Amino acid sequence: MSYIVAGYAIALTTLAVYAGLLVVRRRRLERLAARVEDEQS
Amino acid sequence: MTLSTADAPTAGRVVPKWTRRRTWTVRILGIAALVSIVCTVWLGLWITPPDKVQHQLVRLLYIHPPIAWVALYCAFGIAALASILWLWPRTRSPLWDRLAASAVEVGAVFTALTLVTGSIWGRPTWGVWWAWDARLTSTALLFVMLLGYLALRRVPSDADTRSRRCAVAALIAAVDVPIVHFSVDWWKTLHQGATVLNANLSPTVHGSMAWTLLLGFVAFTLVFAWMLAMRLRIETLEQALEGAELDEALHERWAEGDASVGASARRTEPAEAAP
Repeated sequence: MSYIVAGYAIALTTLAVYAGLLVVRRRRLERLAARVEDEQS
Repeated sequence: MTLSTADAPTAGRVVPKWTRRRTWTVRILGIAALVSIVCTVWLGLWITPPDKVQHQLVRLLYIHPPIAWVALYCAFGIAALASILWLWPRTRSPLWDRLAASAVEVGAVFTALTLVTGSIWGRPTWGVWWAWDARLTSTALLFVMLLGYLALRRVPSDADTRSRRCAVAALIAAVDVPIVHFSVDWWKTLHQGATVLNANLSPTVHGSMAWTLLLGFVAFTLVFAWMLAMRLRIETLEQALEGAELDEALHERWAEGDASVGASARRTEPAEAAP
């Protein structure tokens, strides 16, 4: 059973961490884009 | 390079307008992916019965084949198709390059997970973490090629050259996908044959196990779709900001140039005016 738990834990944790990183990266870039747009206008 | 009007940043707007309209679609996709993943885990770990041959270990097969499906067919299918569309002069658009890059990055995560979950399943089943089996080796080769693609994107060059190199690299890597798929038929391998997409197209899994496996395929495909949408948005923002930074740097240089020309003109004016 430990192999099953390890498999699910590794897969789901990796996907959750990657998803979190995508959200953080997107938000950071959107803030940056908004700032550049403000400066340009 | 042909720029489509959808990609062109408008005055005072760094990010193309079309990327803003899809926020709600991506959110709904994210919620659907999360719900379906929770249902897959619940069915896979608690509801489905143990297998006659594999006993409890069959539960790992509700996530391993769906992850492999996403890595091999969804991610690579999109990356290869987008690369062809970029290479074809009539359909060339920066969007295809961005889509291919996004699919490869998300695909690399899923390929790594395919290898890891397969290895975890293989240890109690085969007695080893890794075997130089045709299916495993060709999948590992695919992962290395994906890393190569991602490294190639970071090589400094102009956008057109980078896109061309990456599109060719993606198509070379895509050749490995049918090899991975048919490796269990072409060679005598330790890895089991296809359960669903076999030669007769008759699945060898039934009942609640089949439904859980099917849900797993849907769930991980939704997760992939959400991640791809997010990654594409990031790629679009990065390129738009790169362009904006370049524009800003050019304007600064022009302003500096104008200022220095104005200053030198002022210095020479009295000398010309003296006679």
